[in-house]
This record gives sequence, C-alpha cells and structure tokens, in this order.
Amino acid sequence: MTNDGFFRVWTQIGKHAQGSSVSVAHLCATAMAVAGVDGVGVSLVAGPEALEAFTTTDVVAARIEELQLVLGEGPAADASAEGRPVLAVDLATAACAERWPAFAPAALAAGARAVIALPLQIGAIRLGVFTLYRVRPGGLSALELADALVIADTVCMLLLDHAAVAGPDATGLAWRDGLPGSDAVVHQATGMILVQLGVTAEVAFVRLRAYAYAQDRRLGDVARDVVARRLRFDPDQNPGAGVGEPV
Amino acid sequence: MSEHRLAEVFVELADTLVADFDLIDFLHRLTVRCAGLLDVAAAGLLLADQRGALRVVAASTEETRLLEVLQLQTDEGPCPECFHTGQPVTVVDLADAADQWPRFVTEAHRIGFASVHALPMRLRTEVVGALNLFDTRPGRLSPRTIQLGQALADVATIGLLQARTISQSSMLAEQLQAALNSRVIIEQAKGVIAERHQIDMEQAFLRLRATARAGSRRLSDLSRAIVDGSELV
Repeated sequence: MTNDGFFRVWTQIGKHAQGSSVSVAHLCATAMAVAGVDGVGVSLVAGPEALEAFTTTDVVAARIEELQLVLGEGPAADASAEGRPVLAVDLATAACAERWPAFAPAALAAGARAVIALPLQIGAIRLGVFTLYRVRPGGLSALELADALVIADTVCMLLLDHAAVAGPDATGLAWRDGLPGSDAVVHQATGMILVQLGVTAEVAFVRLRAYAYAQDRRLGDVARDVVARRLRFDPDQNPGAGVGEPV
Repeated sequence: MSEHRLAEVFVELADTLVADFDLIDFLHRLTVRCAGLLDVAAAGLLLADQRGALRVVAASTEETRLLEVLQLQTDEGPCPECFHTGQPVTVVDLADAADQWPRFVTEAHRIGFASVHALPMRLRTEVVGALNLFDTRPGRLSPRTIQLGQALADVATIGLLQARTISQSSMLAEQLQAALNSRVIIEQAKGVIAERHQIDMEQAFLRLRATARAGSRRLSDLSRAIVDGSELV
C-alpha cells in the first residue's frame, strides 16, 4: 500500500530514527508525535489469553500495561481477544466504567483519561497490542488514526523480522514495498507456505518476506508465483534463510 | 427482473442480519445477488481503510484475477473517484479510460470486462466504501438498475453498521478494521485449503464457505481455526 499516509508517517519515522536502524522505541516516539498522544506501550501475546509488556514510553503507559495484566481486563485485552481496535476516548464515562469496572478507575487514578488499543495483527497472526493514551479525553482525528494504524503495521513488521533468523531489514523492505495489508495474494501465499513447510502462519509470512528480500523481488510478485504454483517452499532446504524452490 | 425475485433477495439479506451474524459472508452473498439481480458479470465491494486506502472485502466470485482488478483501485479506477465524491461513477466503455487508468483498464480488459459502475456506500456524511459492477458489454445501466444497485449498496452499509451498534465514529473505525482483518484471515485460510487439496483460490473459498454454512460458523472464526491448525478443512 503505497499512499500518501504511508510516506507521511515514514518521513516522520525517519526523523525520529535519525539514520540509525528503526526500533520499536522510534516507532513509539513517532506515534506520540503524529497521533498527539501522551504515551505509548507495546504488549506482546505471551499465551492464549495473556499479554506481557514489551516496551513503554513512560510510567503512566507502564501502569496501563501492568493494570491490564493484573486485573485481566482493559482495552488492550479486548483488542487482542476481539481482533479489533478499541477506542476508549474517555475512561471517566459510565460506559467505560461498566465495561472495565476495575481497570477504568485504576487507569484514571494513574493519570490516563483516554486509551486507544490497536491490535498488532495480520489476519490470524496475532502479535500483541499497540496502546496509546492521553491525559485528556478525546478520540483520534481521522488523520491521527490513519497514522497510528500505519505505525502499528510497521511495529508488526519490525517484530516479525526481529524474530526471524537472518530476517530481512524491515525498514528496507517496508520502504520498497509498503505494508502488505491490501494484497490478497500475499495472505493466500502465506497460507500455502504454512502447509508446504508445516509451520505457523507467522513463520510462513516471515519466510515469504525473507525470500522476497533475499531475491530482491517485490513481495506481491513472489506471492503471485507461490499462488500460481511456480514457486514452492521446501522444508528440507536451509530453514533459516527462507529458501524457495522454483518449480 | 421480477418484483417477486427482488423481494425475495431483500428478505434473504434482511434475514441474514441476525445477532452475531457473519459480516463477510453477508457481503459476499450481497455481491453474488447484485451480479444476478442487476444482470452484470461481476460485483465487488471495497471498504475504506482508515489508513487511507480502499480494500476489497467481498466479490461475487473469488477468482484471484477479479480480486486483483478490484484491488488495483487502491490507486486508480472509478472506485477512488466514487469514494471521494460520494457520487456514482459510470465508465460506459473502459477503452475510453485507458489513458486515465492504464493498469486498471488493462487488467479489467484481460478478464473480459468492457464497462464498470461504482456506487458509493454512504453513512450520514461519510462515504465508507463503494460497490463495483462490471459488465462484459460496453454501455450504461438503466436508471432503474442503478437505483436498485444503490439500494443494495445501502444494504451493505446497513450490514456493516448492524454487525455492531454504531453510535459514534470510533465504533465505525473499530468495525471497519475488524472487517478488513477478517478478510485477511479468510485469504490466509484460502491459501491453506488451496495448498492442502491442490485446488485454486475460488474452489478453496467455496469449500470454506460450504463448511462454515454446514456448521453455522462464521467465516472468520472458521478461517482462524484453519490457519491456527486447530481445524482441518
């Protein structure tokens, strides 16, 4: 998806990274700037219904993560379970108090007034939650939400590629191909590779990206070859490097 | 088309809107009925992603080439224009639009389409997506057919809203993102099924949908189970 929003956000990420390779911390700082929020936290899926804090920008963000872990409820927990964003634009409302009877008052006491939880997911691949908070009530504007979603996608890519053995540089691949949100063939190919290699969707997707990167080809083009059965991934070949076999 | 058939379709679609219904299956059903009722070759629905692009959520056939033509409209084609203006866009003969949308027209011609109509999915002052109607003959649809197409586009919007009570724009954002991610899960599951049974993506989708319907499961729930490996289809 190469559109204005993507380049707008990536220009900002570049400013925050200042030439070094992009980290999750850079993405959090960028999110604070472009979405106009006071802090950000990233939590990762640690089990079927468990999240654990990965990084937070400040004590309030850390407290929001901790509260949800201890209380077992909150916007991030819901976002992860339901696979959708949860936009709690004012925790002081009756609706929020009813939805999260323990979390809402505790988060307010910690200094947060609005919490926006964006799932870090690519279809069935669930990585965690990107949580933004504000000390004042209020939702994100359309532009702020667009930018926050693009940053959440980028966090996904960064997490996946870091987890990969000899994985590609997320920054390089994202700059070249954009984010693979809209290309149906990429997701179809992920499903096919999952069966070919007998791995999880997450690993299959990482391998697909690694192959595209290693071959210096566009992700969508490689995925099209997989779907057309011109390219197969072979489990016996060099498992780390995402080797594919032209058929 | 007969009034009777028309009434049947609207009743069928309305009947689908029960509590906890399957949004993607509903939108797929709607595009299939669109193609049949409006006598066009294919219909597809695109929703506006809050990231700023249009994304395919349903099509009357799951043929990969059709999905790709629909998706090309992220950048060019009648859908972006329809989406930005909130007005229907008609391309009587795609050959005349080759300069304007070179990639879209080339790919549409490749599958044999000659004309296309885009109708907006409107919610109050917002446009949330667009319905695409493709035909193999050049020409304009009759005003009555357009009117009916717009009614079906409105039904699609109702379906989107109905899946959750939407009281404010933040709820719409939640709903749209959930629908778009469901679509990704379905693509992943189609890949799993296609590879396991050595069939194409359209056959994989039909198999997925038949299994979901037989077990009264939501497409997205079943798809997730397939991708997680907890269920074999």
